[in-house]
Amino acid sequence: MSSSPIKTIVDVTMPQMGVSVAEGTVVAWRAGVGDPIAADETICEISTDKIDTEVPAPVSGVVAEILVPVEATVPVGEVLARIAVDGETTSTAPASAANGSASAGAGASAGAGAGGNGADAGATITARRAERPASGRRYSPVVQRIAAEHRVDLSQVPGTGRGGRVRKQDLLAFMESGAVEEAPLHIESPYRPEPAATPADAASPTLSRMRRQIGEHMKRSLETAATCTTWIEVDMSRVERARVLLGVTGLAFVARATIDALREHPALNAWLEGERYTAHSGVNLGIAVSLGDDGLIVPVIHDAHELSAEGLAARVKDLARRARAKELTPDDVRDGTFTITNPGQYGSIMATPIINQPQVAILDFEAVVKRPVVVTDPDGNDSIAIRPITILGLSWDHRALDGALAAQFLASVKRHLEGLVAD
Amino acid sequence: MATNIAVPIANGASADSAHLLLEDRVWLLRAMLLMRGLEERAMTLYRQGKVPGSFYDGHGQEAVSAGAAFAMAPEDRLCILHRDLAAHLIRGVPAARVLGQYLGRDTGITHGRDGNVHFGDRNVGCVGMVSMLPDMMLVAAGMAMAFKLRHEARCAMTWFGDGSTSRGDFHEAMNWAGVQKLPVVFVLENNQYAYSTPLDKQFAVDPVERAAAYGFVGVTVDGNDVEAVFEAARAARERALAGDGPTLIEAVTMRMHGHAAHDDMKYVPKEQVEEWRKRDPIDRQEARLRKLGADVDALRVEVQAEIDAATEEALAAPMPDPASAVEGVFCVGDAEPLGDGVPRWSGFRSAGAAR
Amino acid sequence: MTQLTYLQAISSALRDELRADERVLMMGEDIGVFGGAFKVTDGFIEEFGPDRVMDTPLAESAIIGTAIGAAVVGMRPVCEMQFADFISCGFDQLVNVAGKMHYRQGLAVPITVRLPSGGGFSGGPFHSQNPEAWFMHAPGIKVVAPSTAEDAKGLLHSAIRDPNPVCFMEHKHLYRRVKGEVPDGVFETPFTARIARPGTDLVVIAYGAMVHTALQATEDLDGASVEVLDLRSLMPLDEAAILDSVERCSKVVIVDEANSTCAAGAQVAAVIAEKGFESLDGPVVRVATPDVPIPFSPPLEQAVLPSAERVKEACRELLAY
Repeated sequence: MSSSPIKTIVDVTMPQMGVSVAEGTVVAWRAGVGDPIAADETICEISTDKIDTEVPAPVSGVVAEILVPVEATVPVGEVLARIAVDGETTSTAPASAANGSASAGAGASAGAGAGGNGADAGATITARRAERPASGRRYSPVVQRIAAEHRVDLSQVPGTGRGGRVRKQDLLAFMESGAVEEAPLHIESPYRPEPAATPADAASPTLSRMRRQIGEHMKRSLETAATCTTWIEVDMSRVERARVLLGVTGLAFVARATIDALREHPALNAWLEGERYTAHSGVNLGIAVSLGDDGLIVPVIHDAHELSAEGLAARVKDLARRARAKELTPDDVRDGTFTITNPGQYGSIMATPIINQPQVAILDFEAVVKRPVVVTDPDGNDSIAIRPITILGLSWDHRALDGALAAQFLASVKRHLEGLVAD
Repeated sequence: MATNIAVPIANGASADSAHLLLEDRVWLLRAMLLMRGLEERAMTLYRQGKVPGSFYDGHGQEAVSAGAAFAMAPEDRLCILHRDLAAHLIRGVPAARVLGQYLGRDTGITHGRDGNVHFGDRNVGCVGMVSMLPDMMLVAAGMAMAFKLRHEARCAMTWFGDGSTSRGDFHEAMNWAGVQKLPVVFVLENNQYAYSTPLDKQFAVDPVERAAAYGFVGVTVDGNDVEAVFEAARAARERALAGDGPTLIEAVTMRMHGHAAHDDMKYVPKEQVEEWRKRDPIDRQEARLRKLGADVDALRVEVQAEIDAATEEALAAPMPDPASAVEGVFCVGDAEPLGDGVPRWSGFRSAGAAR
Repeated sequence: MTQLTYLQAISSALRDELRADERVLMMGEDIGVFGGAFKVTDGFIEEFGPDRVMDTPLAESAIIGTAIGAAVVGMRPVCEMQFADFISCGFDQLVNVAGKMHYRQGLAVPITVRLPSGGGFSGGPFHSQNPEAWFMHAPGIKVVAPSTAEDAKGLLHSAIRDPNPVCFMEHKHLYRRVKGEVPDGVFETPFTARIARPGTDLVVIAYGAMVHTALQATEDLDGASVEVLDLRSLMPLDEAAILDSVERCSKVVIVDEANSTCAAGAQVAAVIAEKGFESLDGPVVRVATPDVPIPFSPPLEQAVLPSAERVKEACRELLAY
């Protein structure tokens, strides 16, 4: 018991954050040399072409060496740091921080490893609690649901329940008072409402790393692909009714219709890598998510063809949240076969999106706007009606397909959206 | 003391029934052979792991169910106990469906919802037993009550064991049937043991004597003589239809196997088993028939062929669809009525002989 | 329409069924010559005779067991437990024989068991129980509990005509206290819930006598709009109606006269927690009898049975939440 334990050194390496990722940049170190660290605790933050993420310590121990400084870019597999592990800890199973500090400091209790787990868990819980907003308000399920549906900032709602709790009737009264703007037709977008633009002269002196990467990707795509864009008008009446009924977003229905159309036209659900063209049967659907000033990321809903509109809505919501919380894993951003971009909330109606390589097409979904349109009744009489209309834009790679197929695909999406049966 | 009941009866000579033709006697043997053969086959399947759960049989008691059920008319109604497979066979349940029942197949009478002999085929006028014995005495009494209220010339029959006589429902049913003079036949299958409990720990007075206390007839018969059991049941049915009320028939027999397959019966003295083996009901009926010149060997071959075919059919039958596990708890729509059994006894075919 | 008490409504349903269907018969202790402990079948024996209004031996297991036998051969027996409490003596027949029959062998058991239940009149531990939850928990048995005269008649007609075993919980305390307009002749009330009073701020879910307690408690609750949902049927439980009320009102008080643990209201609370969570604006609150036998002495009994005051207090608390 009293003999000094033999130290084992475990490497922390630059992880492979996606099949095509070759390198990564250290953004920040969370632990310094000499600091105790528990297995799975974040040791550093990294940024790669595809994703920003945290690197969890592979074992519990003490940080012995840091080999890569912040801002340095190194290849995948490069050793970033080394952790000294108590010799008696032979497995990489999570051990406790307490264990690490015990081995680093006085040998107070070399065998305290097992008992340390409890303390570790407790610390985690405390840390999580600290993340909760300072307001400390809790909301009932119904209040949260209504607020989410109507985009109400609950911190603005005066509560009259016990201890100032916001009750359902408080929220309804708040909304009735006009404090909440009439929701536009198509408000849902995984793009985060952004703060007022910072004046240009106050901008940071150099572009952020993510900004630079996005720029490079976009430019490379335009240089690689023979990009064309085709548009189609879609009557969203049925979607508008269905989304209110189901409480899900318009994007979810567009995604579902796109998947159906992709299944009919798998040529657009494909990768073109140099000479190699691969059409996919299953749909891994990328959804562009804005991270505000930080840039843009495209998390992927794998096997999206197996999900309903409601299932898709839930997944979009979850991915967007995790993207903003920087909780995406490498798996969340890899293997997309088609992408939808959806900046609809600001009222813009058309765009020419850039294809997310190596995919062969990307769909752009903008605002839904009420427009006078000519409708024809069953007897063939024409009249003018007010209908919610959107314009879907498809950028496609002329190397992989031709315009007729793009048009057929868009027509199919349109048919699915207009033919939607809401229930 | 209670075992004394058995001895004089079992030693008594077989009482040939005057109401049986040769074909009836052959059928009685056939039912017993089929029961024994099916149960032996099921036991093999159980040991092969093909029959799930527990396995119970009525080895050595075949005469009790065969003899009593044979006397019941198609329109009569039966609640059969788990050691009475012959009664099901006499009513007309196909052998393959019995094995399907043991095997938990969709083709079993309960479609896998209940196991072993826990069934009653409503299509042949049977209401399946529950494990709480003798609950079905009350159900049988209730059926008889309906027949009486509707002035129908029918009766109900149920079987139960010596252990059942200790429960309150035995008393409630006996009393109710006595008070209302119901056309019901109670067959007390005294097989010496309730699981491991012998008779002298079950009752202080022979239950057949209790019948008098409830105001009706109690008779004891040799439960290993199928024709004696038939005759007692036939007479009981006649009384029931004549409006003379219920009958308690105590059929004295011996459970030759354990309570279930897992029971080695070490609590039963070997001599007792040996003694009863000499009175095997199948051997006795077979000897009787050989004396009458019947071709028993041919019958055995025929029965074995039926069992083999039934085994093949049952093993090929599908398991129930798991989705069906949550179906059928409630009756939706019209209730399916009970159907009638097959008339086996010649007396039901010769007009007026029994009715 | 005729003005009937709850008890008269039950009698009326039984009489109508006896007249309409010769398969129907009444079975029970002292129901014939004496007309029943509560006089529900008073005068029946004169009209229908002792075969169809049967004075049975004092044997609950036998009443239910023989009713099952009669039912499977085509009768429609209606059993009376003199007090709901005595169903414990017939439990086995009901749960093991009747409840499992159709599942096991496709054989319907159309019996109705009438259970005069509930307390509030110093009946003590053996004449005051509400045993409905025992049978909700046993597969194959339906359980209904009317609160009004109209429902007492309509639900009883439905129960007798249902091809399954039905426990008909008739609340003794309502027998002569509740009166109402009842349509003439036979009518069948479905085994679904009924909104006893519509509202928007809070819903009180109850059945049987507690519907009246709930209505009384929330008649004037500081201007709040309180809905009262009368379940009427406990098995099947009208989940759609429950969830609909919860969705509109978002706050729920559930009242049981039965002992609290695993009571019907506990099942209602579980349904709401599982399927109505996103509609809730406060905890699901239950008011029920604590887990004690119903005591005899009036102050003791009143201390345990849910009173209008207790329900009112629970509603006030929840409304303020």
